[in-house]
Amino acid sequence: MTARKSGSRLESEIERCRSESQWDKIPELVRQLSAKLISNGLCLEKVPSSSPSLSNKNSPSTNRSPAEREQEIITCYEKSGDIALLYLQEAEKVSGIQNRSPKPGPTSQDLELGYFLETGLQRAHVIHFKNGNLTQGVGRFREILRAVETRTTQNLRMTIARQLAEILLRGMCEQSYWSPLEDPPTVSPLDNPTQKGLTYSKNYTLSRRPRVYSGENLFCPQENTEEALLLLLISESMANRDAVLSRIPEHNNDRIISLQSASVVYDLLTIALGRRGQYEMLSECLERAMKFAFEEFHLWYQLALSLMAAGKSARAVKVLKECIRLKPDDPTIPLLAVKMCIGPLHWLDEGEKFAKMVIDMEEKAAEFRGKGYLAIGLVYSLKATDGKFCSSLSPTDHLAAFYLALQLAVSRQIPEALGYVRQALQLQGDDVHSLHLLALLLSAQKHYHDALNIIEMALSEYPENFNLLYTKVKLEAMCRGPEEALLTCKHMLQIWKSFYNLTNPSDSGRGSSLLDRAIADRRQLNAMTLPDFSDPDTGSVHATSIAASRVEQALSEVASSLQSSAPKHGPLHPWMTLAQIWLHAAEVYIGMSKPAEATACTQEAANLFPTSHNVLYMRGQIAELRGNMDDAKRWYEEALSINPTHVKTMQRLGLILHQLQRYSLSEKVLRDAVQVNSTAHDVWNSLGEVLQAQGNAAAATECFLTALELEASSPILPFTIIPRAL
Amino acid sequence: MLGSERGVVEEWLSEFKSLPETRIPSYAGSLHLKKSLVPALYRVIQDPNNELLEPVCHQLFELYRSSEDRLRRFTLQFLPELVWVYLRVTASRDRQSNGCIEALLLGIYNLEIVDKDGNSKLLSFTIPSLSKPSVYHEPSSLGSMALTEGALCQHDLIRVVYSGLHPQRETFTAQNRFEVLCFLMLCYNSAVVYMPLSSYQSVCRMSSRVCVCGFPRQQQKLWREPCNRVLLDPEFMVQMLTAVYHAIYNGEWEMGQEALEDIVYRAQLELYSQPLLLGNAMKNSLPESAPETQRGRKVLQVEVTPTISRISISAITTASIRRHRWKREDADGMSGGEDSFNINDPDEGFSSGASNSSQPSGTKTGGSLGQRGSLNSSSSSFKKAITARLSRDKDKEKDREKERERDRERQQSPPGSIKLDAIHLSPIKKHLSFPAGHPLVRTGSTSSSKSFDCMNLNLNGGEDEREEAAGGSDKETGPLLGGSLRHSTVSLQEEHLNRPEESQALLSPGAPLTKQSRSPSFNMQIISQV
Repeated sequence: MTARKSGSRLESEIERCRSESQWDKIPELVRQLSAKLISNGLCLEKVPSSSPSLSNKNSPSTNRSPAEREQEIITCYEKSGDIALLYLQEAEKVSGIQNRSPKPGPTSQDLELGYFLETGLQRAHVIHFKNGNLTQGVGRFREILRAVETRTTQNLRMTIARQLAEILLRGMCEQSYWSPLEDPPTVSPLDNPTQKGLTYSKNYTLSRRPRVYSGENLFCPQENTEEALLLLLISESMANRDAVLSRIPEHNNDRIISLQSASVVYDLLTIALGRRGQYEMLSECLERAMKFAFEEFHLWYQLALSLMAAGKSARAVKVLKECIRLKPDDPTIPLLAVKMCIGPLHWLDEGEKFAKMVIDMEEKAAEFRGKGYLAIGLVYSLKATDGKFCSSLSPTDHLAAFYLALQLAVSRQIPEALGYVRQALQLQGDDVHSLHLLALLLSAQKHYHDALNIIEMALSEYPENFNLLYTKVKLEAMCRGPEEALLTCKHMLQIWKSFYNLTNPSDSGRGSSLLDRAIADRRQLNAMTLPDFSDPDTGSVHATSIAASRVEQALSEVASSLQSSAPKHGPLHPWMTLAQIWLHAAEVYIGMSKPAEATACTQEAANLFPTSHNVLYMRGQIAELRGNMDDAKRWYEEALSINPTHVKTMQRLGLILHQLQRYSLSEKVLRDAVQVNSTAHDVWNSLGEVLQAQGNAAAATECFLTALELEASSPILPFTIIPRAL
Repeated sequence: MLGSERGVVEEWLSEFKSLPETRIPSYAGSLHLKKSLVPALYRVIQDPNNELLEPVCHQLFELYRSSEDRLRRFTLQFLPELVWVYLRVTASRDRQSNGCIEALLLGIYNLEIVDKDGNSKLLSFTIPSLSKPSVYHEPSSLGSMALTEGALCQHDLIRVVYSGLHPQRETFTAQNRFEVLCFLMLCYNSAVVYMPLSSYQSVCRMSSRVCVCGFPRQQQKLWREPCNRVLLDPEFMVQMLTAVYHAIYNGEWEMGQEALEDIVYRAQLELYSQPLLLGNAMKNSLPESAPETQRGRKVLQVEVTPTISRISISAITTASIRRHRWKREDADGMSGGEDSFNINDPDEGFSSGASNSSQPSGTKTGGSLGQRGSLNSSSSSFKKAITARLSRDKDKEKDREKERERDRERQQSPPGSIKLDAIHLSPIKKHLSFPAGHPLVRTGSTSSSKSFDCMNLNLNGGEDEREEAAGGSDKETGPLLGGSLRHSTVSLQEEHLNRPEESQALLSPGAPLTKQSRSPSFNMQIISQV
């Protein structure tokens, strides 16, 4: 009773001061008033509900239900909170402190939230949640956050924004969401069912309410994750501002506090953005966390993972190095690095170093040890050295058996390879690469029909795998005639169209629409093909050949990357795939001796990649088909100027030179080709012919024998089109 | 299976079939009252040889097809169990016995990918941007990021499609398997709040088992049924994590945490970055102990957290640095300071992400991209230079005077000796006037350092600031350098590349221009003029 009275007296006192512009008095009065209200609430909470409380004699206490008591408690807190917000806003407005945060006003007598004000602002929603009344708790959170911020409430808002984001991420979902400007649903699964009928309604009025954010075009979240993200970004910006930068021991505690509060925010951001697949934006956010990250493993590791997920491999590997320094015992970290080194980066030496780290951990690496050996074997195998890795360490890992098979296949030990690929297939029956390898091995044994059957079986499980389809085209041209192969090419074009019109746009890039991405892709594409010719700075032979081999590498790996939905190496793939399809079609037409159609197909590919050596090589073949040897020679030479190590081109060029009777030059070209790839049987054959023409019969015989031997184990497409990645 | 359970299921099967259309809403309301039904249905689903499996799957699909949300959710609660049974059978040799579960999963998928009018559903959301006012904030109140270039770039809110345009599927193939399952889990997660506790248990069980079966960790589990390894997809694991995360905070604290551990374990073995990223974040942000369960399932909890000045005022923070600058600004009597700071301040973070985003790819694609990156940044710093100059017109007057003074000096001393000065002075001055660092080198190698050191630029931002902060305390001893400290390092590096005359302005006006006090960049300029 007395509390009430003095409460209202205080209220009118405040109003009076306000009208008389005695601003300096108001904070004290407000503090008194909310202290009154809050102690009221605290008392009510303490007093057991059965005993009639003294302070509420005027209410019909005898038949007051617990519900009413709750109501009264909450009213006390909410009212005090609202009053506090309102007057803090007014006080600040008047004292001229615009809440441009970083700048302390000239008269910076920073108002401070006392214990009472803070309790008033936080206690109400805490009670809601305690009672299992989520809907109203969220509502109260939002009310406080919508009120225009003051300097004094900044810390509080940071905490509350984070807490609300937690509730949104942990306790709500898309279907149970309602936007801050909508009315909450009347029946909500969020609320504790035992509390039904206990809905709390606001029963106090204030003459003025705290000012809320308003204006045209205010962004209002419409979705669960949206609101959580907005709150977390706000929270992040504040946490960032409080980052304690000094490292002197006296500030250790402060630093830990600021680190912890930021770290929670960044974890929540990770959860929110991760479930929407927005890894690129996430990596940008986590980069901002780096000012906290000195010697903090978790933040470094998360940054590395987000960069990796966003496809920024080079930076990810660098950050992982720091992670390894901070936590040298964790085998996962170097393995992640190897994965990127082997995959998108092709940094084989780096990869070898990382893989050795894992192996050097020995017993400590436990289950990862097998992976370590697998990784190093892969690196060696990619370096085309003799890779022997230990698959006995993880006999249940189908990858080990598969890569062993692949390595044996590359070194043309076909029967042994078949044994291992069968083992891999037993462990993982529908692994696409194992199936593909099996088909290629069968084709190496010249069982083309069996190979085609395997490919078709694999395609029934992976109908959109271009890598398999390329092989299928080759095999069909061989077994069923070129018409079938052309049909498959057409089918591939259809798949390409539907695949990239229907692809999941969320997988990378922040938000751009598909069309935008396609355009961006094309732009990048131009940028990528440019350095081949027009960039004067990279004019040295070495630079161009690297650029060319990059293009080549990318082209030949196009297919490999399209397996299932997982891999996203780069934005170029859709176009490279398309070019590849056209080139395959051109090849089939060449096989049918139809130069006009082949030219048309090649032109399609050339529109996408005018300077690709593959395109130029195909042009050369068409010229050859037309009997135009000079043109053909020119095209081949151009192709070699872009990629000096393209074996197929070298072989054709050698052949033409042979026909033009320029034997020694031809021999030189072919010998170079053999250096690059010693398993290309047609090169050996051509070399033999040249040597024969030069009268070197003994050497020629040897070449022919080699060619014969290699031909017997030659697959329809090189084994290396099967991707090797961890 | 017990006879009573069988009876319950059979009754449920026949009851719905004979139900008239009008009574469906009341039926939906009363379904949850059949306490023994849900456990009995789990039994049926778990047993591939149960002859009730087919009618049950059929009926579950019928419920899902109805327009009543509660009936759809009734079916949805079994999704985790169905996915588990499906994946287990796929991993085993015997693939034929999966038929009706596959059909049910595909049926739900095909219903969910279209909206009511039969159009492909597009699930999208907007990425909020702090540079646009919202119901919770005003851009200007969050500090100086409002006008940064990066923030302006992102001024438009971006709408992102995170799932959509899925094609109808008639059969499962190895290739589309996880596309379908991911989408189904997405549906489950979008209604996860409505699921009963038994479904949370099922999702935790499913996640644990799918991740460990066939791996050494399975030996440590109570569940040891021999089973082949199940291939998993990173996106699918992210969806599992989302469901498990919800379970942890809504009644399944222990089971949920076990599942979380198992998913992280598997993500490590598979070297999948996405689930590892989320899993780490979830583990790291777990409260230390289980929240007290008050009334059954709800364990979400909020506490009154004291927020008042937990960080002592003396500590150097990003904000305090800025305040520091403000004071100095005021002391210097600079007008329009706020604007110039808005533009130069990289530490707020809003700009850094966006403006740096053009750089990281530099190393990957080599020369061309790196150069483009540096072009961008130099043009932006050029802009900065212009604006900064505008705001410092006043200083210009003084500068011109100084310039004249310098000219005089220059004429007096022979050019050779100045060169010597430059060589001697720069290393000595370095520790004090770090912003003026080694501009000669930097100008020369802008593009290369941009592309190769982009990491340093971004990552060391924090450390640089610390350095700057340390410099701040030096300020008392070396008032001469006070002015230059205003700038954060990143902007300084750029500024010094492009406007040597600006660094002259940084020399405080009152300082006597002796040889010792010359900043190296000043010498540099002389050299270039000589």
